[in-house]
Amino acid sequence: MNEEIYNLAKWAVDAAKTAGADDCRVGISKDRLIEISYRDKKPETIKEASNKNLFVEIYVNGRYSGQDTSDLRKESLNSFISNAVATTKLLAEDPYRTLPDPSYYEGRADLDLYIVDREYEKFTPDDRHNLVKTVENSCLEAGGDKVISVTAFVQDGRNESILMTSNGLEGSTESTYYVTGAEMSAKDEGDRRPEGYYYVVTVHKKDLPAPEKIGQVAAQRTLDLLGGKKIQTEKLPIIIENQNVPRVVGGFLSAMYGSNIQQKRSFLADKKGTRVGSNQFTLIDDPHLPAGLGSRLYDGEGLAAKKRIMIENGVLNAFYVDWYYSQKLGWEPTSGGSSNLIVPPGKRSVEEIMKDLGRGILVTGFIGGNSNSTTGDFSVGIFGKLFDKGVPVQSVAEMNIAGNHLEFWGKMVEVANDPWTFSSFITPSVVIDDVVVSGA
Amino acid sequence: MKTGAAAAAAAAIIPVLPSGCLRFSSESKTGYFESEFGISDALCRKVLAKALSRGGDFADLFFEHTISNWVILEDGKVNQAYSTIALGVGIRSVNGDQVGYGYTQELTEEAMLAAASIAATIANSSATSPAGEFTPLILENYYPLTGLLTDVPLESKLPIVQSTNDTCFDLSPLVEKVNVGFHDQQKRIMVITSEGIKAEDLLPRNYLNATVVAEKEGKRERAGWNLGGRKDFSYYTDDVIDEVARESVNRALVLFEAVQPPAGEMPVVLGPGIPAILLHEAIGHGMEADFNRKNTSTYSTMIGKQVAEPFVTIIDDGTNIGLPGSLNVDDEGTPGQKTLLVEDGILKSYMHDKISARHYGIEPTGNGRRQSYEHFIQPRMRNTYMLAGPATPDEVIASVDHGIYVEDVSNGQVKIGEGDFSFYVSQGKMIENGKLTAPIKDINIMGNGPKMLRNITMLANDFQMAKGGGGMCGKGGQGVPVGFGMPTVLVKSMTVGGVQS
Repeated sequence: MNEEIYNLAKWAVDAAKTAGADDCRVGISKDRLIEISYRDKKPETIKEASNKNLFVEIYVNGRYSGQDTSDLRKESLNSFISNAVATTKLLAEDPYRTLPDPSYYEGRADLDLYIVDREYEKFTPDDRHNLVKTVENSCLEAGGDKVISVTAFVQDGRNESILMTSNGLEGSTESTYYVTGAEMSAKDEGDRRPEGYYYVVTVHKKDLPAPEKIGQVAAQRTLDLLGGKKIQTEKLPIIIENQNVPRVVGGFLSAMYGSNIQQKRSFLADKKGTRVGSNQFTLIDDPHLPAGLGSRLYDGEGLAAKKRIMIENGVLNAFYVDWYYSQKLGWEPTSGGSSNLIVPPGKRSVEEIMKDLGRGILVTGFIGGNSNSTTGDFSVGIFGKLFDKGVPVQSVAEMNIAGNHLEFWGKMVEVANDPWTFSSFITPSVVIDDVVVSGA
Repeated sequence: MKTGAAAAAAAAIIPVLPSGCLRFSSESKTGYFESEFGISDALCRKVLAKALSRGGDFADLFFEHTISNWVILEDGKVNQAYSTIALGVGIRSVNGDQVGYGYTQELTEEAMLAAASIAATIANSSATSPAGEFTPLILENYYPLTGLLTDVPLESKLPIVQSTNDTCFDLSPLVEKVNVGFHDQQKRIMVITSEGIKAEDLLPRNYLNATVVAEKEGKRERAGWNLGGRKDFSYYTDDVIDEVARESVNRALVLFEAVQPPAGEMPVVLGPGIPAILLHEAIGHGMEADFNRKNTSTYSTMIGKQVAEPFVTIIDDGTNIGLPGSLNVDDEGTPGQKTLLVEDGILKSYMHDKISARHYGIEPTGNGRRQSYEHFIQPRMRNTYMLAGPATPDEVIASVDHGIYVEDVSNGQVKIGEGDFSFYVSQGKMIENGKLTAPIKDINIMGNGPKMLRNITMLANDFQMAKGGGGMCGKGGQGVPVGFGMPTVLVKSMTVGGVQS
């Protein structure tokens, strides 16, 4: 644990109490990040910085406010906190606004989450340059004469944070991360210059794929966009590629939040215990996944993190309810937000599934669109590849899918065996049957 | 969105202006970082020298102190307030098109020199020297204020928020839930360049927004509205409160009557004002010079060529009074100005920062912007608009047999290289036999930016800037406030996507 920020947090809790707060929650984060990008075989940007930030939430006379600052000079912080308390007193009273019952802090798992790379300090500036050069070169090579521009990048960082409340919570977290990838712009017919990219995020350096591979995938994903055109509107099965599944599940998830439920903006408010998707649709929230990008022992309010099956074989089991909305709704709190989300993988590869599906579209990206958490209706632009019995027919672009989440996930007929692990949302590709894909 | 605190919290940290100095002249914007944080010219010269210690074309320092406040109403009461204070300096060294960047939140000599030596690593030759003297830039004022936003007490903001809520409920018994927020931000910046420019500015930004959930016969609909910009606090009159409430409620209620139009290719009429987001997203981004310098934009070979019908003129402008994208000076010390992008259908200029301007051998256009001291400069839009034409709005609508009329769009996304975009139509109507008929909902419009620009066949005489203050544009992970405007426009064909395809 970092003593400097621990002591500052303790000081801030005392300062808030001294200034008249009944209760408070203080969080301090400290991080260092380094970022390098290359273009035309030379560094395009080099960036390095340290951040420190403090937030304090004040509870006084049944009133509430939250403040944060990067001005951590002690004299500034003193007036910052006392003014925060004075300000809070001017707001309307809200009986639901309290710190969590401390019993919910209890039961924190005693686990090593493996979210710190012990080798982090051994990653040198030369290592970074060599890594990003390799990503760039492999992308340039794989892109060949179609390349207009390639930018490759690496970013890494180390974060330490403290969370503390006046009713007994203390938590400290340390983590590391690495991001690397490339984006490429390619020559296509006419004026079109499709842009594709690929990047990965990991906690440990050893879990990064080979940099050559990352560059090649970025190039291939861009080349796959060449000649993209819309086809006639057609009802087809679609396969949503693993790394793109979160974008469309996200619209569903937003209706699972206590704030949207209490504010009457959720189509799932009365659906707990009922079927909201096909029996292929399972979603697990696992905060204890080793080396997971969303792994944690406690959440943003300090509630002890627990594994939950949010949706089990199509049946909605749980919501994301933070302390405040749990009080407003009269429900048990769970957590204010997701940790690692996992869709368990199926048995067959995307290639095998494609062969059996006949004519269909592999969706490799979404564009724009909307998801209405109140009604569950959504509509989003897609691009990807049209295939027939596993054989690619053409690239498709400028097309659209629309529907209602309850109906859409009800048509989820299969889950592939290819979970994408470079995200806190770990999901394989999924197959949705009978989707109207609108185009020309 | 993170929210924010009350003015009172901020007031103690920001020194109050000398009494009697209520009118906020450009003079009082200067000297802030020196008086508050001891940032002297001599110190800046030392830091710039460090940033150029391994050579490079130029270096600059960007100091920022920003106070942002949010006051929020939920379930009938103003019961949340949030505030954020951002303080720091970003140090950049530029070598050709290469950028070295370091930033620190500690405005001490030691921390700044450390950040400068990181920036310096982008070059690898012999040291160059910063200018011996910094000349303060005299700026126009495109966002006049009668006082500091941080001096407005919380007590003055609470009734605005409460009254917006109460007005919403008074307007219809179908209103079920109302959320209201008032946001104000005061950003002080100082840019110092190795070429000897010193520019200081104080940028206000604020808006009042409401979101309404209405319920009718078991169905729920939601809509919202906001007004604001770089305004003085006196902007928030009863009329503004009334418009925010009325638009929010009406927009939710109309959705109960809305139908989903058949999908397919059809003419689309874009109404005045807000639909200019399409101009910003689908066309404007492609004219930002970084994409063209790298040949990744479809417009990279089009300067001097016809990109639209001869009656189309597009401007990007930092000089509009009180609009979200207005800038007295950009974030790298280029004074606020107006840039003609497309004149009579011909592409005249891209939007430049200093790096792209050097690449093309021209003067920068004042489009060098950044989200904060943590970010480096990119060419970005300010207030982007298309000038009016000769037709009346009715004539434009009457020219369409079967199509849609778009009043508001959201959740747009564009792929710069292809120019392909997709937008969600949140408010609009059917056009049948030249007349506006049923309201529509739950559709996307899709198309290609450059193609859409060529397909604009009619312009009306009802030019309007969008009046919202909440519009943020995202690019490369950085958000900056922007404005946009347009008259009623006919696009002869676009793809409309919906469920009943």
